[in-house]
Amino acid sequence: MDCKQAVSLMHNLLDDDLERSCALDLKEHMLACPACRERFRQLEETEQLLYGFNHRLQPTTDELTERIMSVIPKPKKQSAMFKWVRRHPAITVAAVFVLVMMTSALSMWNADKQLLVKGQQLDGVVIQDNKVIVPNGKVVKGDLTIHNGLAEVYGEVEGNVTVVDGKVYQASTAHITGSVQQIDEAMSWIWYQISSLFPGNATAP
Amino acid sequence: MDTLEKRLAMLARKGDTSAFAEIVELYKDKIFHLAYRMLSNRHEAEDVVQDTFLRVYRNLDRYDENQKFSTWIYRIGTNLCIDRLRKRKPSYSLDAEMNDQEGVDGYSMIPSDDRTPETYLLVSETQRMIHEAIDSLPAKYKSVMVLRYLQDMSLQEISDVLNMPVTTIKTRVHRGREFLRKKLERKI
Repeated sequence: MDCKQAVSLMHNLLDDDLERSCALDLKEHMLACPACRERFRQLEETEQLLYGFNHRLQPTTDELTERIMSVIPKPKKQSAMFKWVRRHPAITVAAVFVLVMMTSALSMWNADKQLLVKGQQLDGVVIQDNKVIVPNGKVVKGDLTIHNGLAEVYGEVEGNVTVVDGKVYQASTAHITGSVQQIDEAMSWIWYQISSLFPGNATAP
Repeated sequence: MDTLEKRLAMLARKGDTSAFAEIVELYKDKIFHLAYRMLSNRHEAEDVVQDTFLRVYRNLDRYDENQKFSTWIYRIGTNLCIDRLRKRKPSYSLDAEMNDQEGVDGYSMIPSDDRTPETYLLVSETQRMIHEAIDSLPAKYKSVMVLRYLQDMSLQEISDVLNMPVTTIKTRVHRGREFLRKKLERKI
């Protein structure tokens, strides 16, 4: 055993982690090696000094406890709501989604003061001021949606006619294959928005 | 012992502030001593104690009951100390001798009333030397040595607290021990 090995074993011994046979080998080496004997004595002394240094600190003050207790957040009443949110993430997400949808639909309803005409095929449609006219003899294929305006139908519409914040006038010559709807209020506008999300269910209550 | 702390932690988790106050009473001295040995500064050590409990309180939900509570709180405290040591700018130690005037150290530059109670307790030259020797340990050895000798932890416990393999802890204890042996050579 050389001295380097011996030092490594010394540390293991101080860690209480040395097999008996190794300990005997180390002892044998140290008996023959004064330098290692001195090294081990110093290491033992160092340990003793450190352990003796252990209990020389003053305890902390009571003010520290008060300080800690004053900085920790007080249990809030709100926390019940947060816990609920944490426990029901799906419902929370759905509620937020509905809220966003409703506000956007409402803002769309409020913002629309201009005439707006929507349809798949608007070739034959005539627009005068806030009037949307389907002239006699013309055929509009597909749905016709009008915001903030008057619809005058003399010709043919192969689909639904929906008027939001406006009126529909149907001449005797008019022919509308789909349904005619007039929407004036915010709630029915929202209902229309929601039901238009689900095709095939586009009728107002 | 540990089951008591776990029970208190569970109560505190449900919002029982008095249970948390009991945890503070049980651990504030231990964490303070750890932090004081790591940082050698009473104010900083008290700040670390406060930060440790604040973190414990905020993370009670994340405390894993299969783990010893003491391991968990020591880990938080030790990490806060290590962070502070890392952030510390190289500063002049009070104990360091000034270069220009021989035999004059930082202590003689400040009125004696400013000495902390702990400094007062270091009455003997030996005590002072041990304090300096620990303070001069590099951070990665310091945390291991403080936990080993000043908190009386086993190598396994230190490995749990620092989340490092036992073999690493062992190597650090050996090197730390040699470092301190050399620092204290005059006294032993």
